[in-house]
Amino acid sequence: MGRYILRRVLQAVGTLFLVMVVLHLLTTFAIQLNGNPALAFFGEHEPSASQLAAVEKRYGLDDPCYDQVGNPCAGPFVDRLVAYAQGDFGTNLRGRAVTEIVAQSAPHTLRLFVVVTFTWLTIGMVLGSVAARWRGRPADHGIRFTTVLVDALPVFVLLLLYKFVVTVPVHQWARSEFGSESWPALWFRPSFDADHPWATVLIPGILLGVSGSAAFVRLVRASQLESYSGEHVRTARSKGLPERYVVLHHVVRNSSIPVVTAVGLVFTEALAGAVVTEGLMNINGMGGVLWGAVKGSDVSLVLGVVTLLAVVTVVVMIVVDVLYAALDPRIRYE
Amino acid sequence: MSEAPARTLMSDAWRSLRFRPDVIVAAVVLVFFLVMAAFPGLFTSTSPRRCVIGDSRLAPQGFGAEHPFGTDSFGCDLLAQLVHGARPSLLLAFVVVGIALVIGITLGVLAAYYLGWVDKLVTRVIEVLLVIPLLLAAMLLLSLFQGVDVGSGTLGTILLPALVLTMFAWMGYARYVRASVLEVKNHDFVTAARALGASDLRIMTRHLLPNAIGPVTALVPTSIAGVIGAEAVLSFLGIGVRPPAISWGLMISNGSEWVTGGHPHLLLYPLACLVVTVLALVVLGDALRDALDPRLAA
Amino acid sequence: MRQARITTAAAAGFAAVALVATGCSAGGGDAVTEEPATVHLALNQDVGTLLPMDSNVDDNIAVLDVVYDGLVRYDPETTEPYNYVAEEISTEDNTVWTITIKPDLTFQNGEPVDAASFARAWNYAAYGPNAMANNYFFERFVGYDEMQGETDDAGVVTVEPTATELSGVTVVDDHTLEVTLNGPFAGFSTMLGYTGFFPVAEACLEDVEACAVKPIGNGPFQVDEWVQGEKVTASKWADYPLDEAPAFDAVEWTEFAGGSSWADFMAGNLDEGAPGAADLGDVESDPDLAERVVERPGAALTYIGFPLYLSEPWTNIELRKAISMAIDREGIIEAIVPGERVPADSWVVPGGVPGGETGTCEFCTFDPEAAKEALAAAGGWPSGQTLTITAGTDEEEAELFKAIGDSIQETLGVPYELETTEDFSSKRRNREMTGIFRNNWFPDYPVNENYLAPVYASGDPEEGNTNFGYYGAEFEEAIEAGDSAETLEDAVAEYQKAEAALAADFPTVPLWFSVSRSYHSERLSNVILDPFSGQMKLRPLEVAAE
Repeated sequence: MGRYILRRVLQAVGTLFLVMVVLHLLTTFAIQLNGNPALAFFGEHEPSASQLAAVEKRYGLDDPCYDQVGNPCAGPFVDRLVAYAQGDFGTNLRGRAVTEIVAQSAPHTLRLFVVVTFTWLTIGMVLGSVAARWRGRPADHGIRFTTVLVDALPVFVLLLLYKFVVTVPVHQWARSEFGSESWPALWFRPSFDADHPWATVLIPGILLGVSGSAAFVRLVRASQLESYSGEHVRTARSKGLPERYVVLHHVVRNSSIPVVTAVGLVFTEALAGAVVTEGLMNINGMGGVLWGAVKGSDVSLVLGVVTLLAVVTVVVMIVVDVLYAALDPRIRYE
Repeated sequence: MSEAPARTLMSDAWRSLRFRPDVIVAAVVLVFFLVMAAFPGLFTSTSPRRCVIGDSRLAPQGFGAEHPFGTDSFGCDLLAQLVHGARPSLLLAFVVVGIALVIGITLGVLAAYYLGWVDKLVTRVIEVLLVIPLLLAAMLLLSLFQGVDVGSGTLGTILLPALVLTMFAWMGYARYVRASVLEVKNHDFVTAARALGASDLRIMTRHLLPNAIGPVTALVPTSIAGVIGAEAVLSFLGIGVRPPAISWGLMISNGSEWVTGGHPHLLLYPLACLVVTVLALVVLGDALRDALDPRLAA
Repeated sequence: MRQARITTAAAAGFAAVALVATGCSAGGGDAVTEEPATVHLALNQDVGTLLPMDSNVDDNIAVLDVVYDGLVRYDPETTEPYNYVAEEISTEDNTVWTITIKPDLTFQNGEPVDAASFARAWNYAAYGPNAMANNYFFERFVGYDEMQGETDDAGVVTVEPTATELSGVTVVDDHTLEVTLNGPFAGFSTMLGYTGFFPVAEACLEDVEACAVKPIGNGPFQVDEWVQGEKVTASKWADYPLDEAPAFDAVEWTEFAGGSSWADFMAGNLDEGAPGAADLGDVESDPDLAERVVERPGAALTYIGFPLYLSEPWTNIELRKAISMAIDREGIIEAIVPGERVPADSWVVPGGVPGGETGTCEFCTFDPEAAKEALAAAGGWPSGQTLTITAGTDEEEAELFKAIGDSIQETLGVPYELETTEDFSSKRRNREMTGIFRNNWFPDYPVNENYLAPVYASGDPEEGNTNFGYYGAEFEEAIEAGDSAETLEDAVAEYQKAEAALAADFPTVPLWFSVSRSYHSERLSNVILDPFSGQMKLRPLEVAAE
């Protein structure tokens, strides 16, 4: 097991390096093809020469290789790697440390992800188990139909409807009924409040979770159906074990394996949902920071944040793999 | 003899599917929208690009009137937009899934058949792509090709989103195919074929592929549905299909703010089209999976 | 100039009544303590800094307006400047200006507000390598050029700046400052109330990054904390010596970074709000809300530019007129941004600044027939060509420019494509435009000259100005005449001639001026909007107890 983890970690370091190379090349070519993002910094006014040079420096684009299309800019890449290795992730255009920005925004996004993951698992396990248990019955059809319907509804529609139709009257009512700092008033606040991070992220997180839960329901259902027809369930039944026991211990527990794997896989995908949710609910999170950075051509912020995100994702993947191995005795570590 | 199991599986599936009422309804819906995408002229004679600002946000007038479904904020005919918006939305989905399938199956088979460095390379590329957030890649690629003129035809308007979504859509297929090829690779019929001197290419295309393709087929309709949904989100973020080109996603994104503004039809019509299409695809996908996976047969 | 988005700081409503009803305190205890009166506002733009030298968007300007005091302030009704921190501003020849500063003023950290504090800020802003957004304000100062240096085409510095201080700014004594301009400029004193001319403390320049987050001001409020990306809180500075101080205790600005804050206003969490087009339904269904609105004409002009540096058809004035007359300005405003713009038929905002008049643009009204005739006179639209319309990525602007494209297409039968790009500014500056494109001008100080010279003057008959490739000899002459006029009134009259010359050359097409509109909560009264930014003026604001 130890050797398996070690090998996975080494692999992960390689993957991280490749991710950084790919990102570096993408951003470099984007800059070379599109010209200087520093110009956009000045809006309608023409910057003087030294101003432009100073801003290029701020963007980290003062190396002449950025003016030569096709030049991979290996020099700046190595410099950046060295800086990252020393824990220096650079600053944004305004001189604020990337690590500080991430430290401020990451907790908000993490809270969102916690709520989302919890919603996925709850809805997936409950509805998926019910659908599998009563396969082909109205409950099964009803669940499948509803989840598909929710799945087809774009997440931003769900959130917009919630924000503009639900929150305003409910929040007002809760304020007058229970006071503005009461739980119900905070739950239905039209936008995030950093002073009450959990309460105000709860419902947006649940909505985001609900909108992505269909895949989990389907996954749990499929894997449990497989279990129901599997040898071990037949054996357990033939031993005369009570149905409840069989379902809980042989079917539901086994179906948790693919679900855990899936949580790891959709982690980066959830970032797209996070960008939408954070934007609409005014949450100052990683999705929003990254979005703003890309739009503002803040290269060092983009690369810094993505590198940190990639580290997290890779770690999550390793943890998932290890969990997978631990949960499923059939998997060997070679 | 080697192809026999796959063929019967397929024909079994077909036989079990064609009499299911939900499958029939789903297929009819799908065909309806495909015809709409292919021949928009059959459904409306109004140009979706003719917008008269003075006629903005007219309520639906019913069939026979000038604007059966009303008009949007710019005074464009909503029905014409819906009909002409079907093509980019569906084309995007089919192109993305089609190309992703080809890439995924090819790489999956190659990786599983040759193992060694090919396998290492493929799994590594998959891992790298799983780590990069889709949205970030979309933004970067979009800014990368910003200066490139892709033309204003249907293909041009969907090229960039198609490129990005394809890049991130093939990994699932590759993993599935790789797994199932690994499973059948050591079966007798493959060993036999090899002993008889069949080339690698022949073994892969004639013996391995047909067996691997079953489980992947079931994924296709759901993936198409997923891409249609993803297009809507990209449009909402302003990096999908861009105006004045039209797509359902764009219409939903533009219409969503008007639900509370007293013009819900701007959202409801395109949303209904999208939801019904996605629903039909998922029903087909589920049915296909049930039919193709003998283990699930009751 | 700043890329002004017409965002009005938002704020909020119904809360007051509800709060009074519940006794306001969350715990519901009976002892109602004297809560400080806090105004809750929104920052709708992405605010990068609170450094005066670098602040150039509506929202950080609005914050700094209560944190710093300038030499002059502007009458909110007439935009007329009056001395505030300055005791007197005088000049003989409009070139050398003497500014005396009121005695005994200090910064919030105790440092004196003296001549040196202004010179310090101005030198910092004017020094090119500091890359301050308000650098260009000092272009008229003697010694500005020496502080900019030179670079080659690739942007590599070839000549370092030779000076770090403006030679045109002299500290005569503690309270007297002498400014020498490159040439006469009658409007100079009207510029001095702008954010870019605020003084800064020595401690501020010692740690500029800290000062950009937590300003050391000389105004009635001090910033307590700015959690970047989330909110700014400011409270009253107890020792404020001057008289224009707000009557309430604290302000809390929540950052919305481009998102909508209307729902928060409606829910009662903000004291001010500006509805989008789709939110107007709320307003109509709530007659009470319709009474809590303040409107005033804004000053931002949106206009269409042409790549005059290319050849036909852009250089053909008839084609430019045809496009102008093919745009249904009123219809577009009514459908997309009702009440938030007024159609423009001049290049200078009428009534908003001295010299601004309506109707200077003869071809700025929607007239399909005349447009078609003009197009025919121009020789028609090149067949098979598509008109490219380029705009930035702002969603609302993209919608407006799609509607403009529709209108041109409907009237002239010219097919168009809309290009919304992040690289809008650099494309324009590098002259890479291939069709018509969006421009927006927001005045920095209230003289009609500000709409003209910075935008169109270049002094380069060969190449024309950078963005459009425009050069008008008559226009340049009129601007020069205005700059060297004796009095501001004479100058304004000359600048009006420049506008007339512009109208004859028709290099750009005025579309519309902004309108500032702000809804406020029941607890606010005496709500006055800033004539430039359209932001709520905080100093005269009155707030009822919560």
